[in-house]
Amino acid sequence: MDVAEVTAKDVLDVRGLVRRYGDLTAVDGVSFHIRAGETYGLLGPNGAGKTTIISMVAGLIPANEGSVRVAGRDMTPSETEAKRVIGLVPQELAIYPDLTARENLKFFGRLQGLTGKDLTRRTNEVLELIGLSDRAGDLTKKYSGGMKRRLNIGIGLLHRPALLILDEPTVGVDPQSRNSILESVERLSVEGMAVLYTTHYMEEAERLCDRIAIIDEGRFQAEGTRDQLITLTGGVDRINLRGGGSTALAAEALRALPAVQHVDSDGSGLMLTVSDGPTALAGIVTGAGDAGMSVTSVEIVRPDLESVFLHLTGKALRD
Amino acid sequence: MAAIAAVELRRFLRDKSNIFFVFVFPLMLILLLGSQFGAGSGQARVAISGPGSALSQALTAELEASGADVTATGADAARTDLSRGRADVGLFLDDADAEAFDAGRPAELDVVVAPESAAQAVLQQVRSAVQAVGLERGQLAALSGAGVPQEHAGTALDQAAEQVAVPTVEIVDANDVEQEFRGLGRFDLGASQQLLLFVFLSSLTGAATLIQARRYGVVGRVMSAPVSSGQVVAGQAMGRFAIAFVQGGFIMVGTALLFGVDWGNLWLSGLVLVLFCAVSAAAAMMIGSVMDNDTAAAGVGVGAGLVLAGLGGCMVPPEFFPETLAAISLATPHRWAYDALADIQRHEVTLADILPQLGVLAGMAAALLVLGAWLLRRSLNRAL
Repeated sequence: MDVAEVTAKDVLDVRGLVRRYGDLTAVDGVSFHIRAGETYGLLGPNGAGKTTIISMVAGLIPANEGSVRVAGRDMTPSETEAKRVIGLVPQELAIYPDLTARENLKFFGRLQGLTGKDLTRRTNEVLELIGLSDRAGDLTKKYSGGMKRRLNIGIGLLHRPALLILDEPTVGVDPQSRNSILESVERLSVEGMAVLYTTHYMEEAERLCDRIAIIDEGRFQAEGTRDQLITLTGGVDRINLRGGGSTALAAEALRALPAVQHVDSDGSGLMLTVSDGPTALAGIVTGAGDAGMSVTSVEIVRPDLESVFLHLTGKALRD
Repeated sequence: MAAIAAVELRRFLRDKSNIFFVFVFPLMLILLLGSQFGAGSGQARVAISGPGSALSQALTAELEASGADVTATGADAARTDLSRGRADVGLFLDDADAEAFDAGRPAELDVVVAPESAAQAVLQQVRSAVQAVGLERGQLAALSGAGVPQEHAGTALDQAAEQVAVPTVEIVDANDVEQEFRGLGRFDLGASQQLLLFVFLSSLTGAATLIQARRYGVVGRVMSAPVSSGQVVAGQAMGRFAIAFVQGGFIMVGTALLFGVDWGNLWLSGLVLVLFCAVSAAAAMMIGSVMDNDTAAAGVGVGAGLVLAGLGGCMVPPEFFPETLAAISLATPHRWAYDALADIQRHEVTLADILPQLGVLAGMAAALLVLGAWLLRRSLNRAL
């Protein structure tokens, strides 16, 4: 990141962050910034270092090197003022199962400095926001997984933080609750909240994030908007041909076509890397048929973040 | 800090099994122990049966003046009380006895003595009372016979009694141990023992909630709030203390109201309780910090709680301990708290008298709190 990009509107400014555990460097020189109203995604597989970055940003663990500034204040584990402007939604459900939703919200609200009528009002507002008003008096151990997730997020919103940190908030959530969570995040961003969102779901990053950092083995592999990242793949498409007959001969024939960059065979079909797939498709199908392959299905896969990750790291996001 | 303490207390009280073991069970045990071992409380218990008469009134007044606990009851009930150890001596009066007393004639009273050896001393107390009543009656008859009007004779005898310094007899047991427990109510000893046992035990088993907080991931969220790790540690310590103090206070008030337990000077008893709760809270923090499995922690808590309570004199009074065990028991906070409460309950001690016990408890609390806070801080970091 160019330091000159950092503006007064930056809610979060992270520079040269390093975290080591013995010989293992979990986070290696990570820098990024987030402005108000911006949703920033950390996209990477499990173990890539996303949660470690979050832990340093939230002041839970210290960085070995580098700095974190939140709303202009240095963030360290002993810094309480900087923590006032962040709302953390941990990956694990961080709620007391033997308390009700209202009691959970009030407890964490008090920790954030809310008291009296403010606390009651914000508790009610958040219960309404996360759709749990009618179950506010039930012990949370009786909640469904989705309801717990919503409460988990609601606690992070209680004190109207300038920066909301969401660490894989949809893991283990049913599709309906997942969609509800994503809609909530979109709404918060529109309302001006800065959001740091980690996920290993490409679709979530594409839908929510204004800018995305692709992270693997503790390092940022690339950073930018979705479109900027897509261009890193060279704009190539993938075409998958399924069928029988002579796939080996078809592969030979297709490699000769100018639009085809690469051909792989898995026994039941061919996977081609092609520049401008829609234009080249007709020639590819004809060429395969002429070479003796009976094509039964054709699929064009446009480049996405999965492709970008594959292109940058040589492995799939869910590896 | 207060929010953390309050939520810990709320969570502890919400567990229904805690309600039973923390509040109901100790009182049940105190009732049971008091019922079984109350006979040795030292106070003479006399059951008087028969019609209401001047004789029964005079005997009751004389016995109560000598410190006995007198119960007016039916003949069958008196025999039951004697057979079950609820009374030491039974006095069975009938109409003929009452008439003889009223007429100033000698009366032959039926007396039944309980089989316990201590009942012989009570029998002697009853004999003295009967003699005193008979003597007074004889003196009245003599004065009346000498022409003194009856109402003037009674007044004269009362005035004479006030002017004469009557020698008093203090019954001292040859046995030091029995002497130590003389004057204690039947529930007093069990109440103080169970108070200490359960406060410490519940605190240790309650340490499991600390482990659960880490497991639930709540610790990370709490640490991301604008509170320092010191405040979190202090809040947890306060929570443990609040749990112990609520239970201890409940047992003290409950046993005083339900069983008439005499806790002596409440300020001093309360001070002992506060310091003992601080030790319990710190010990709970240590267990909750070094262990990662809440079920195992609860098991360790029960085991350690019972062993320390046994060593500290909460099962068998330390007055019965052999020398070596008595010396070992001084390593437990229970023993120091027991000694302090015993002094407060049995003797009219002042703060200065129990300063050594309070000092040791305060020292134990301080040392364990420092160690517990350090371990808890480490465990919080481990949870992140």
